[in-house]
Amino acid sequence: MGVNMSEDLKKQIVDLFHEKSKGDKKMFYIRDVTKWLPDVDRHTIHDAVKVLLDEGALVYWSSGSSTYLVLAEFFPKEEGSRS
Amino acid sequence: MAKSDTPLLDELEKGKWPSFVKDMKQAAQKSPMAEDLLRQLELSYKDKIGHWKHGGIVGVKGYGAGVIGRYSDRPDLFPNVQAFHTMRVNHPTGWFYKTDALRNLCDVWDKHGSSLTNMHGATGDVILLGTKTEHLQSCFDDLSAAGFDLGGSGSALRTPSACVGPGRCEWACVDSLDVCYNLTMHYQDKMHRPMFPYKFKIKVSACANDCVASIARSDFSVIGTWKGDIQINQKEVLAYAVSAINIQTEVCDLCPTKCMEWNGKELKIYNEDCTRCMHCINLMSKALRPGKERGATILVGGKAPIVQGALLSWVIVPFMKLEPPYTELKDLIDRIQDWWDEHGKSRERLGELITRLGMRVFLRAVGLPAVPQMVKAPRTNPYVFFWPEEIQKEVK
Ligand code: HEM
Ligand code: HEM
Ligand code: SF4
Ligand code: SF4
Repeated sequence: MGVNMSEDLKKQIVDLFHEKSKGDKKMFYIRDVTKWLPDVDRHTIHDAVKVLLDEGALVYWSSGSSTYLVLAEFFPKEEGSRS
Repeated sequence: MAKSDTPLLDELEKGKWPSFVKDMKQAAQKSPMAEDLLRQLELSYKDKIGHWKHGGIVGVKGYGAGVIGRYSDRPDLFPNVQAFHTMRVNHPTGWFYKTDALRNLCDVWDKHGSSLTNMHGATGDVILLGTKTEHLQSCFDDLSAAGFDLGGSGSALRTPSACVGPGRCEWACVDSLDVCYNLTMHYQDKMHRPMFPYKFKIKVSACANDCVASIARSDFSVIGTWKGDIQINQKEVLAYAVSAINIQTEVCDLCPTKCMEWNGKELKIYNEDCTRCMHCINLMSKALRPGKERGATILVGGKAPIVQGALLSWVIVPFMKLEPPYTELKDLIDRIQDWWDEHGKSRERLGELITRLGMRVFLRAVGLPAVPQMVKAPRTNPYVFFWPEEIQKEVK
């Protein structure tokens, strides 16, 4: 059951990322992800996100001081942002 | 003589003191990256604006921290610093290196980066300044082969750091080096795979002199202290009195709680009023030593003025014995981080969260009793610790 649960959760997270990435905003805090899924335990979400990172569906983006998550296909090419 | 490319930076070479411009010019002799860096910096001085774009690549397989992406916003002028990423390398605890380790580290950086380093950055890590995106993985692989690992960055546990402690210092009340190393190894996942609302820093000083400035620079500060009486050697006190220092004006009068008395022959300490600030011990190290029962005070909430204002850490556990495997300490860190992770907003530090929700809520969540040592300043309201149901009980 555990495996299916987490496959379901992973799919749910990826779907949510696609849905939320429709606009200009592509990068999200882990905090955003746990808010999208208020009924799921935070730690379970963290674990599922780590698996998605390992599998390459999600990628980290970091400003140096804070870290964001982004769908691999939306990872910005070779550039930084002005902040 | 040829006209200099960097007249503004050249000003910073004048004077007797060390100059980062001199160092960068030296590196520029063999590194085109260092040369473009100098030229871009000169332009920044001229334009009065930074020419870096922030963020991006985190770069290394399996890691979400340790690489800080930086890009030039004028790659047309300075192609060699188009990408100029920083790598944060976890320092050896206490910053002890054997020469061969340092040589290996520098060789790796000459091969993959600009040759410029910052030994060490504010987090304590070795800061390797400036490499290209395509070098990140191979540089990491070479660092690993040399026995080094990346440190924390972004919304992760930052590389813990510690004062040199028992490695060199007679005042150490706890083994700051071992505590730091132990926590670093224990929390590898939290350092390399950022899942926090924001950064979290742990620093360990083995006495109240706080040589790593843990009270000002960490969310979780561990500061060595003692219980019981300061050990006094009256003969040595007398020796100080006849030689170097004025015990009345320099020691007793500057004791913050005025708990010392000196009659010209004997020093008396009213230990119940001593706050263990280290002042007297620092001045008369041969005569005074910390008490025999050693441990640490745990404080939380320190941070620098980013996003919100600066905070100093404040006490949450007045005295904790610190012995391997530091289970009590780790349990406390876990409870605190879990509470912060649950309630903290994005980019809200622990100290800010406690300020927002209150010590009362924090203490209940992490299961600590309210004690007088937690009062941050005299005359702050002590009633904060009562819950409505407790007041109800009293009324009945
Ligand atoms: C119904 C009777 C009283 C009430 C409601 C009352 C209320 C208060 C309150 C609210 C404070 C501030 C506490 C704080 O710092 O947070 C205070 C402080 C103080 N009260 Fe009273 N009080 C009462 C009686 C007395 C009496 C009878 C005395 C002296 C004989 C006294 C002497 C003081 C002093 C000296 C302070 C300042 C303590 C300090 O240094 O902070 N009070 N009181
Ligand atoms: C005859 C009337 C009153 C007397 C004699 C009195 C006396 C005092 C005293 C002695 C203090 C301690 C001041 C200090 O910090 O040294 C105090 C504090 C205080 N009083 Fe009163 N008080 C009176 C009326 C009130 C009323 C009507 C209120 C609220 C409606 C009030 C609210 C407070 C509060 C909140 C503090 C604490 C301030 C702090 O935390 O520093 N008091 N009062
Ligand atoms: S904090 Fe104390 S124990 Fe650590 S190095 Fe400084 S003086 Fe020594
Ligand atoms: S350690 Fe500080 S507070 Fe304690 S007696 Fe010495 S000077 Fe006073």
